[in-house]
Amino acid sequence: MRNARALVLYLAVLALCVLHQDFWWWDEAEPLVFGFLPVGLAWHLGISVAAAFVWFLMVTVAWPRDLRDFDAGSRDASLGGDDSAGERVR
Amino acid sequence: MTVGIILAYVALLLGITLYSTRRSKKDSGDYFLANRGIGSFMLLMSIFGTTMTAFALVGSTGRAFEKGIGVYGLMASWSGIIHSLCFFLIGAKVWRLGKEHGYVTQLAFFRDRYRSEAFVLLLFPMMVGFVLIYILVGVVGSGRVVEALTPETFARSDVTTSVVVDASLEPKLAAMQVPDDLRDKLSFDASSRTLTWTGSMHPKRRGALMKLVQPPSKPWADAVGELVKKAPRGSIPYAWGMGFVSLVVLIYVFFGGMRATAWANTMQTIVFMVMGVVAFIVIKNALGGAEAASKALLASKASERASRAGDQIGKLQFLTYCFVPLSVGMFPHLFQHWLTAKRASNFKLTVVAHPLFIAITWVPCILLGIWAAAVLPETTDPNAVLGTMVSRYAGDVLSGLIGAGILAAIMSSMDSQFLCLGSLFTNDIVDRYGHRIGLGTLDDRAKVRVGRIFVVAMVLIAFGIGLTNPGGVFPIGVWCFTGFASLFPIVFAALYWKRSNKHGVIAAALTVAVLWFWFLGDALTGEFLIGGMMPVTIVLAASAVVLVVVTLLTPPPPRDVQDKFFPERTA
Repeated sequence: MRNARALVLYLAVLALCVLHQDFWWWDEAEPLVFGFLPVGLAWHLGISVAAAFVWFLMVTVAWPRDLRDFDAGSRDASLGGDDSAGERVR
Repeated sequence: MTVGIILAYVALLLGITLYSTRRSKKDSGDYFLANRGIGSFMLLMSIFGTTMTAFALVGSTGRAFEKGIGVYGLMASWSGIIHSLCFFLIGAKVWRLGKEHGYVTQLAFFRDRYRSEAFVLLLFPMMVGFVLIYILVGVVGSGRVVEALTPETFARSDVTTSVVVDASLEPKLAAMQVPDDLRDKLSFDASSRTLTWTGSMHPKRRGALMKLVQPPSKPWADAVGELVKKAPRGSIPYAWGMGFVSLVVLIYVFFGGMRATAWANTMQTIVFMVMGVVAFIVIKNALGGAEAASKALLASKASERASRAGDQIGKLQFLTYCFVPLSVGMFPHLFQHWLTAKRASNFKLTVVAHPLFIAITWVPCILLGIWAAAVLPETTDPNAVLGTMVSRYAGDVLSGLIGAGILAAIMSSMDSQFLCLGSLFTNDIVDRYGHRIGLGTLDDRAKVRVGRIFVVAMVLIAFGIGLTNPGGVFPIGVWCFTGFASLFPIVFAALYWKRSNKHGVIAAALTVAVLWFWFLGDALTGEFLIGGMMPVTIVLAASAVVLVVVTLLTPPPPRDVQDKFFPERTA
């Protein structure tokens, strides 16, 4: 399930890369979004915001299991006073 | 005033970083990696500050002035996607391996993964060379920024500058009423038609001088332009600026190591982001608001800057620029920052917020750059666009604050690079090979000391090259990014391809080195494209192909290496 969600999100990253190549208004300055942002700049600002959203989903639902387990192992080890936190966890 | 604000900022910076060292444990683990105890917020600020250089404020504005809004898509929105991808796929995974096996540097990881001293000895000079170029860009940039920000710091009342004016101006200049603040600086000798300026001159005096003769005329504009061009600036000399900024960074890196660097980066990142936004708001208001400024641009002959029309940016160039931000996957100084995290989950905030931070920093600068195209002469030096807009539309205090912001952006990259060079040399060369030249096994304090000596040597080399005032330093800065990005397949294969071996990565690194030098001459000429594509496309593809082919033609890595880095997952 986690792998399927990660795959969907990697496809979303790929979609962002495709949408980044916005040749359809390459030569256009207008409309001015919010009255001052040239449309091409507004689109790419949107790409940045969308990227943050996709990455938010990625770290929320597709954070690698080995990293999650490693953190959990580190916490357990440090609670037990073991300074080599994490080293036992594979 | 500007100098005072910059000095006050530097004093605050040193105070905060020296305070941070009170929490230091004074061992090499703390010096190089802050004892792997950096939390989410400081990791975000450290990484963002390290990846953003002076280019984020000065360069972005200047490039937008020249090339229009496409610069955002080219450099900022691509970075928002690709940098976070690298932090997610490479950074967090490297952190885990670093914590598990005790790596302090990037080369230590590669040595263990590929079990090859030859590969490390090949990569070491490449990494040091690329980082040195990166440092050079910062050192030269700081000298130029300090020089540009501090005109009339030295009054130079012993120097006079004269220009002979057009005959048509003589009656007007003879009857000219010189304002009180210019009376001891400006004089006109009617007999020789000579206009004389005494002392140094800030370029912003051009506006006040132009108002002295009404209505404005071309002969008067020419005379003022010549006077402004010929008069000494009285700025803090370029070499002093380079030396001062390098010294400040050396001080806090030396005393506090990674912990001070992380604190400094956090503060400096906040400063340059806030100052960029403040500059935007002040200049936007002075231009009559954002809507008025954009409409003025559309009505001007520079209206193309609001789009990507014409030959500003090619479509293939725009597409292939996506490979350049892969360089963050191989920056050794960023690698070291990754290792400082306390937990893997600390990376989450960095991965998510990085694209937003880029937008907050870049969008205002891009808008200022395109608006400037409507109000500044086409011949304005792109690197001077932000400074000119600030000095034209904001006061001395804001100039000083923005100057501090620009220096913050420069220093927040330089500090990590200084520290990284020391770490690489100490841990990967002296520790490994020191016994061959009689250094024996170093204790912790000696390790740190040796690292510092190497850093000073590298900074002196950068300073020495900087003294020659190299013109092509920014193109070579971009070219060094190409080198890092082309090495990306090596780190990706190390983490995700069990079969990848030392033969493949040595061949890939050699391919990058050969092609990097092969194209160096062309790269230094300015905007260098191959078939309309960014050259990194070719070098990266060659490196990836060579890595795969040579790996498949040679034996796989030993079983214990495969087990160590790709353990069988238990349910």
